[in-house]
Amino acid sequence: MQVEKDYYAILGLSKTATAEEIKKAYRHLVRRYHPDAGADEKEAAHFREIQEAYDVLGDPEQREAYDRWREMEGLGQKPALILKATPSYQTLPCLSEEQVFYVLLEIMSSPEIKGKRPLLNLCLVLDRSTSMQGERLQKAKEAAMYIIDRLSEDDTFSLVVFSDRAETLLSGRRRLNKAMAKSVVSTIGSWGGTEILQGLLAGLNEIEKCRLPNSINHLILLTDGQTYGDEVGCLEQAELARQRQISITTLGLGTDWNDELLDQIAARSGGTSAYIDSPAKIIEVFRDRIHSLGSVLARELTLTLRLGKEVKVREVFRVSPYITRLEEREGVFPLGPLESHKGDVFLIDMLIPPHPAGQHRLVRAEVVGDIPALGRQKERTWQEITVNFTEGPIPDQQVPSAIVGALGKLAIFKMQEKALNDLQRGETDLATQRLEAMATRLINIGEIELARAALLEAGRIAKTGQLSPEGKKKIKYGTRSLSILPREVRHD
Amino acid sequence: MIKCPVCQAEHPENTLFCDECGSYLQEGNQKETDPLAAAEVTWMEREETLEVSGEEVVSPVSLKLSIPDSGREVELPLTKEVNIGRLDPASASFPDIDLTSDGGLEKGVSRRHAKITRRGNEVFIEDLGSINGTFLNRKKLTPYLPQVLKSGDELQLGKLILRVSFQ
Repeated sequence: MQVEKDYYAILGLSKTATAEEIKKAYRHLVRRYHPDAGADEKEAAHFREIQEAYDVLGDPEQREAYDRWREMEGLGQKPALILKATPSYQTLPCLSEEQVFYVLLEIMSSPEIKGKRPLLNLCLVLDRSTSMQGERLQKAKEAAMYIIDRLSEDDTFSLVVFSDRAETLLSGRRRLNKAMAKSVVSTIGSWGGTEILQGLLAGLNEIEKCRLPNSINHLILLTDGQTYGDEVGCLEQAELARQRQISITTLGLGTDWNDELLDQIAARSGGTSAYIDSPAKIIEVFRDRIHSLGSVLARELTLTLRLGKEVKVREVFRVSPYITRLEEREGVFPLGPLESHKGDVFLIDMLIPPHPAGQHRLVRAEVVGDIPALGRQKERTWQEITVNFTEGPIPDQQVPSAIVGALGKLAIFKMQEKALNDLQRGETDLATQRLEAMATRLINIGEIELARAALLEAGRIAKTGQLSPEGKKKIKYGTRSLSILPREVRHD
Repeated sequence: MIKCPVCQAEHPENTLFCDECGSYLQEGNQKETDPLAAAEVTWMEREETLEVSGEEVVSPVSLKLSIPDSGREVELPLTKEVNIGRLDPASASFPDIDLTSDGGLEKGVSRRHAKITRRGNEVFIEDLGSINGTFLNRKKLTPYLPQVLKSGDELQLGKLILRVSFQ
């Protein structure tokens, strides 16, 4: 055992890796560097190192001794992810019925990985159907050129345009000739219908071709139309993309596009979706995306909640930088990438059954993710929430303002979801009332423009029984971005 | 179980917001500003006279507010706008200067009451449509119409007095 060697780094792992993850990483590397696989001298040496690392880390006793020794020598890995958990209360009353309990989770990166920009493997997939003709296509082209200008030498870029079929205009490559690329963009013309699946397939193919071990693989899809008959295929591709560590941003332009489909494509791949109400804003949205992608600090993040006895999770939401409802898949909540230095904020809504007096652990939140800038996989961090249950009087305790603020906006977000559901079930009176109540809440928090949109649509439903496509999107995507918490309460 | 006072929907204990109608459910959190009786809110005459400092501060960089009632002094940089009001997370009011602890609610301070901004060398005070109004040296401000604020001025928000100085 050579204590000065970082065996974890050799296996591309974090110190917090499980025995199972160590075994898996070892098997993967051995297959790649095995002398029988025709390796050269350098690779053979690397193979011996991998073997040595596994001999130590694969044996629990040796691993423990190695960790302790490294720690003493001050060579231990510093954590790359920081998790902060804030409960709604420290003390709960012993009740004979269930009670609600909230936990606000903040995931941040540690200062040591700040400033390192990861490599991008980016594909832009643009809708060139007839409806894009004119200003829409013009602005989309300008936005594409903007992105091209911001790429670094080692980033990979590809460009796909689609209508009824897809065409790869720029095949994925590094050291892009920017002048040439921009001239290709300028020649894009519009024709045909909209078949999103064609564009997705071609784009994902380009990204797959160019992937590097630590690149951020991402596809940006811009469309202004409905796709017909290929929805299922699109969702399958989004699911496959996530498995291959490719996330997708879907951008809908104007009002005639399928928001449910674009939301789901993005959500399944671990990406985001957005509504662009006017072509002039395309460049702004692209700028935000490229900026966020350039600051990906961690990816493939997952959240696992290990619950105390009979504790139930009702809902989990991302509340910042935007609101989304998170769905559990195979026991974990996929969180996608961590894109901002400010960190992401999540809210867990739980139901607590009756507990006897005393200290009880309600939940252990565990976050696992890869840190491309440090070449570490499966970095792991966790927090436990333990609460004191008491029969006696409850001390005066305030719910932290960050939790109240987040829940206030979530309440509005949920009212919007419910109003859309009411409407789908044909309950127009309920939907109208709900939108009006929502407008009142929006005025209270100073969101006048959104409140006005909600009132306008409430009136429209009362008259016609329907929302305008524009109003629907405005309300849906507007309430979602209510999430930005005020600076003052973001961090203590 | 608790019942939403607005729409009567039922929720488990300790729920914070009704997701049917969006109301805040915690008891004892009535944070609406009550309008003080109309005759009550005027510039309040006081024994002491204003000490107007003669010197003009060129391009003020920070703002100091003294609150005689509570003896509190707050100092803030003037690099961005300074919002004054009462903290109420439930309605997303996070003022830079929170007057709750100075008796703001009882004295009729709104959650979003007034804001102070700097433009060039001048500092402005603007009433944000508060329920009980903002007074600058005895004069009631027209809502949303910024007025120049000088070091040594006295502000009254509802019935709460603030003394202004710049550094």
